[in-house]
Amino acid sequence: MIVRPRWADFKIIGLYTGKVVNGIALLMVVPLATSIFFGEWNPALDFLLAIGACLVFGLGLEVLCQTSRDLAWGHGLVVVSFSWLMATVLGAIPLHLSGHFSSYLDAMFDVMSGYTTTGLILLQDLDHVSNGLNMWRHVLTFAGGQGIIVIALTFLFKGTAGAYKIYVGEGKDERLLPNVIQTARAIWLVSLAYLMVGSFFLWIAGMSLGLGPVRGLLHAVWIFMSAWSTGGFAPQSYNSFYYHSLLYEVITVPIFVIGSFNFALHWAVWTREKTEIYRNIEIISFFTTMTIAMLLAMAGLMKLNVYPDIIALFRKMFYQVTSAHTTTGLATIYSRTFVRQWGAMAMLGIILAMAIGASACSTGGGFKGIRMGIIFKAVIQDVRRLISPESARIVEKWHHISTRLLDDATVRTAMLIVLSYVGIYALGTVVGVYYGYDLVQAMFDSVSAGSNSGLSCGVVSPTMPTLMKVVYIFEMWAGRLEFMSLFALAGYWVALFRGR
Amino acid sequence: MIHWQETISVLSVDLKRFWLTFAIGVNLFLSIFSGFALAQATPPNIPLNPDFTFPGKDTPQGVEVNSASLVENANAWNGRVITFKGEVIGEAMVRGKMVWIHLNDDAYMWKNIEEEAKLDGYNSGHAVWISSDLAMGIRFFGDFKHEGDVVKIAGMFHAACPQHGGDMDIHASTLEIVRVGHSVHHVFNTSRAITAAVLLVLALVLYRFRIIIRSRYAF
Repeated sequence: MIVRPRWADFKIIGLYTGKVVNGIALLMVVPLATSIFFGEWNPALDFLLAIGACLVFGLGLEVLCQTSRDLAWGHGLVVVSFSWLMATVLGAIPLHLSGHFSSYLDAMFDVMSGYTTTGLILLQDLDHVSNGLNMWRHVLTFAGGQGIIVIALTFLFKGTAGAYKIYVGEGKDERLLPNVIQTARAIWLVSLAYLMVGSFFLWIAGMSLGLGPVRGLLHAVWIFMSAWSTGGFAPQSYNSFYYHSLLYEVITVPIFVIGSFNFALHWAVWTREKTEIYRNIEIISFFTTMTIAMLLAMAGLMKLNVYPDIIALFRKMFYQVTSAHTTTGLATIYSRTFVRQWGAMAMLGIILAMAIGASACSTGGGFKGIRMGIIFKAVIQDVRRLISPESARIVEKWHHISTRLLDDATVRTAMLIVLSYVGIYALGTVVGVYYGYDLVQAMFDSVSAGSNSGLSCGVVSPTMPTLMKVVYIFEMWAGRLEFMSLFALAGYWVALFRGR
Repeated sequence: MIHWQETISVLSVDLKRFWLTFAIGVNLFLSIFSGFALAQATPPNIPLNPDFTFPGKDTPQGVEVNSASLVENANAWNGRVITFKGEVIGEAMVRGKMVWIHLNDDAYMWKNIEEEAKLDGYNSGHAVWISSDLAMGIRFFGDFKHEGDVVKIAGMFHAACPQHGGDMDIHASTLEIVRVGHSVHHVFNTSRAITAAVLLVLALVLYRFRIIIRSRYAF
């Protein structure tokens, strides 16, 4: 029997959604301060207006929905999906007011792309946007990478027993520390520590490349936020290609590779277990699948003789494939170069890398290395079972922080999520093909949106059909939250009309 | 101490060996399973995109090309001397006696969105490698507060530049300033300021309400 949600349930959802939206207002203080510092008065007004709108909505919900009841599992998941939607709607205000978007939907597309660390954009004339707006785009992606729920947990929640339920809903289920609020703070501690170090190196590198001290610092912070969050946004329309620098590439690649690793792995390496990095199933899976993707891309590029020498080929191929596999989306080539020079074979290598993606409980998207590892182990287990005597008990182990026995429930869960990803990849591809795009190109951008990668071969553009924009927004949202929260939200809607 | 250039050349040799072994392996595999002729069959090259300009046999050197055509038909334009016109954006990134500049030839070349130009797609343009002496004449670089100079350059286009790690670029030998840029004047938006003030006052009132309501639930 489906139980219809009651007013008390909506009050809990409203209360926590309000808190998360207030967190968005808090985040907007960073671009507001940037705009004021650089004397960009109209963008500063846009941020003040958006902060006001977020606070009115967030505090309004808190006033209307005040309750002392704590969250149940269902509430937690619905809070996450609903908060992400509202954060997208309200976070798009300053973008839309900037005048760089054809419609409010386009602005929402970019905000969803930022929160989900995708990196696809519909913003027009990026090279003339304000520093404040650029800061907001990158703060969105940095915050989205750690999780906007994580932010709310860090700053706005106090001693809530149900906090873990909304933390899990955001696609993270690792507890680094016994208390989930401490876990959220630990995630921020790790990220902010890397932000300081990474930005410093990029700043020095930027100045050596000819950027001024102020521009160099801004670019360093933005590119770090983008790379660490596996986001893909960049302050110039040329993306990473703008810097024409091996040094910048050498610094950014480790940032997005480390950013794509599981926070639990970071914490383990930081605190106790250095050998975890060699034994972890996700790391092994990541390097295996990345090698396969690189070989595919390399084969395609060699066949078409795209680059003048092997060093240039390796440099371009390595950056693009690593960016794809970590679902970052930073690129050192033009979008259309994938189609016009790289060709279908190399594009398939990139599609494979994007589809598999990063690690679970990280800033990245895609199937995730842990699931690929589990499924591979399950296949090995079944093959071993087939060739062993019937009485034999075949045991397969996998290592992630601790060594565990592989059981059917784990495999089923992994398969369910992977199939859901395949479903959204297919949805975007079908819609793209319906609108007349080439199959490989439609698949490329659809997988990019669903896996929150952000590389594009030119399908995503402000002129693409509205339905495609909506489908891509859905893909980014579903892919980032790993479906469970969305299923819960859908379930709530069904229960509202069909429950008793 | 090994010099970095030696390190790169050693790395290059290792990569070549690795690739050769891989290529032989793949060809061997294909030869066994599909026959020698099919394994060695040359794949079709990426055809020209007829929607964009490309050079013919009688196309003269120095012809003016736009950025979209250079990207769409990169291989056809590779190694040709072309003329390219666009707004200088960002900054000049100096590397010794040379400098990187970026020229946008998009819909915002003459007037950008901050000056209320019509929305008409993404930025598009090209990276240009030019001597710093020539680039010194540039006065305005396009950004939020500036409309950059529009310049015309002539130089060799590279679909994948051997000197710059495979970057697509133009090595320019001349630069002519077509239009000097200017500062963008932003008019303060009063109605937006009033809306923001109203919303913030409303938020303050709600904040007071929240304190009162929360104190009731605390008991």
